[in-house]
Amino acid sequence: MRPVGYMGIHSIIPPYMLEEIAKRGKPHQRDWALRNLALAGFIRGQRFALGILASVAPVGHKSRTVYDCKHNDGEPPVGTLVRKEGDPPSKDIAVNEAYDGAGATYDLYDDIYERNSIDNRGMSLVSFVHYDVNYDNAFWDGSEMVYGDGDGEIFDRFTKCIDVIGHELTHGVTQYEANLAYSNQPGALNESMSDVFGSLVKQRTLKQTAAKADWLIGAGLLMPNIHGKALRSMKAPGTAYDDPVLGKDPQPATMKDYVHTTSDNGGVHINSGIPNHAFYLAAMKIGGNTWTKAGKIWYIALRDRLRSRSNFAGAASATISVAKDLYGNGSKEMKAIRNAWKAVGVI
Amino acid sequence: MPGEKKTLRVSFERSGGFAGITMKRAVDEKDLAPDEVQKLHQLVEEADFFNLPDKIIPRSPQPDRFQYELSLEKSGRRHKVTVSEEALPEKLIPLIKWLMEKVRQARKGKESP
Repeated sequence: MRPVGYMGIHSIIPPYMLEEIAKRGKPHQRDWALRNLALAGFIRGQRFALGILASVAPVGHKSRTVYDCKHNDGEPPVGTLVRKEGDPPSKDIAVNEAYDGAGATYDLYDDIYERNSIDNRGMSLVSFVHYDVNYDNAFWDGSEMVYGDGDGEIFDRFTKCIDVIGHELTHGVTQYEANLAYSNQPGALNESMSDVFGSLVKQRTLKQTAAKADWLIGAGLLMPNIHGKALRSMKAPGTAYDDPVLGKDPQPATMKDYVHTTSDNGGVHINSGIPNHAFYLAAMKIGGNTWTKAGKIWYIALRDRLRSRSNFAGAASATISVAKDLYGNGSKEMKAIRNAWKAVGVI
Repeated sequence: MPGEKKTLRVSFERSGGFAGITMKRAVDEKDLAPDEVQKLHQLVEEADFFNLPDKIIPRSPQPDRFQYELSLEKSGRRHKVTVSEEALPEKLIPLIKWLMEKVRQARKGKESP
């Protein structure tokens, strides 16, 4: 957790200069400039930033790199390149998990939703593993994924779960599309999108239908002595863990139990339980492989209909209208989605 | 009660992260050993805590980062700071690390009653 001071908040470099660097700098300078523009809110998703991004040469196909931080921290993270696209597996399990998980996520978006990587322009998928010491977290820093090894007491390594990897990469997709603000309801929707597509990466990898899937997020991430099967449950939010040390899973399943808080950017990891459960209910009603229909509807809503300030009700009307466009007015899919949002008290 | 007023009290919370598990700890200097009291005062001093802004949160916070909330009470002064992990001022990091260690110690206590 090395600091950036206040640079991330009030960048002293004006946006027009960052844009110049983004257009004309060396590759690492362009990445840096784009990240700063994104952090400062000047890049509001691909739809708003084509002019700038057009100058950054995309790779155009699946291209993964994994860097080893060797337990150093840093903002942005620093590490040694240990595996790139096409290289044979490493001896380091975390490196291989990050590589394979990024690949499975790329494939879901590419094969099913015809999306070429995070930015739909073939952006490289860059992962940093072994970040910091006992770091019990994973995050998307605006341009790359960063994974800690866990503290070994509560958390195992964060690359262990493929849905965690899909979750982090989906934060990138969201950033380039709806760019949902990371607080309160838009933030909880942002989190829910990451859980939805993280779960779909896992379901597709395991070839599971909606009925066969466990609908858990982070199953196996908690150490064996912790009383809990996962970090979140989309099927039954609030039931993933109940432990004397960690406490109980705080997620609500419906609006009746919506949590008002200033912690966690307004409870973004808590209230995501509500849209998560709506997705689960819709997927179960539609049946079959979830990524085919429910996943597609959610993806198109994220790509084309949702905006930075969209709330749960906005997500409900967006997904219902996409279902109507794709499958027809009054279709089974449209009804399933409307009923799901009703069941969780959003509409 | 002038004696009581001098007591330094800290409430600390880490929320968010991928797991979204909140960890909390309250520390009152009257419960600390003398060397720890000195350490805590030094960390608060070095952080220039009472002059930090209330909220140190970027306009676009990075997804899944931790959020810290610290409330301090010292000699009748109170101040609360909410800060995102990626925006932590360097001078505040040692105090956060010290408080996280206190969270871990409390957890150990719960594990072996």
